[in-house]
Amino acid sequence: MLNTAYIIPTGDEIRNGVVQDLDAPEIIGQIVRVYPKAEVTRLCPLYDDEDAIYNKIREIALQKKPDLIVLIGGSGGGHRFSSTLGKDYTHSVLEQCLDQRCSREIYGKNGHLWCKLVCGKKGSTLIINVPGPYQEAKAAMEAFLKALTKEAGIEDICNAMAEAVYAQYPAGAAKTL
Amino acid sequence: MDQEYIIAHADKLVMKISGLRVKGLNTKQLEQILMEKLHTLVRVIGVTGEDIEMDVYDIEPDQIQRNARGLIETISLAEGITVTEVTKLSCSEKILEVDFDQIPKQPISGCARERWIRHPC
Repeated sequence: MLNTAYIIPTGDEIRNGVVQDLDAPEIIGQIVRVYPKAEVTRLCPLYDDEDAIYNKIREIALQKKPDLIVLIGGSGGGHRFSSTLGKDYTHSVLEQCLDQRCSREIYGKNGHLWCKLVCGKKGSTLIINVPGPYQEAKAAMEAFLKALTKEAGIEDICNAMAEAVYAQYPAGAAKTL
Repeated sequence: MDQEYIIAHADKLVMKISGLRVKGLNTKQLEQILMEKLHTLVRVIGVTGEDIEMDVYDIEPDQIQRNARGLIETISLAEGITVTEVTKLSCSEKILEVDFDQIPKQPISGCARERWIRHPC
């Protein structure tokens, strides 16, 4: 059962209004369709700042203790591979702060990290990240909710989300290293 | 921690349009407009107030370069974009395949200090 959820968009461009936040309304809509009684809170978007994201997750998980936190965006390699791209920190923050966690990394054939999905727990709160591009966020969230309703564990949830995001690329067969 | 790596064998290049004024961009609409124009998958990967970077899959760079003017006119239809006199389009070559051994065996994020040393930010 999912009673309370916090949605946290990240990204300077989202916070500054350069780009519309299309993902949060989509994710909120998906949650309330599956869990009509859920109270879903969308927080003010965070800048791409690792400490700010870390502190916000800790604050929400420890003080509000929701059933779910969804971090949006910042899931790629970003600045680590291209100086012109934004700073992607959600996956690195989750690796630092989760008590139990599981991750799937999707690389392009050029060796760049395209997407890293992390699913885990902080106390009783389940925490996931989804990619920023709308279609990928939508697919990841649909897969997450489908797995959650089957009471899947974090590993199966992470697998389902990774498969859903991977299916958005016009790629051949996946190769797991 | 349970962790797996997946390789996506997709061909893509990066298309960048600079010299724009961007405010309130509807990325979903922009992607849709460009996908209809180019008949292939397009994903917005980076936006500032002046430029937009996109991944474009399964396309040759010259196909984009030849249609540069038309593509700029097309993106001006998207909500949140204003084309200016200095707007220009550029695109990279298609990505090259690397040996799988070049893909890190440890999480790309690592610890904060290790990341700072490898990728000053």
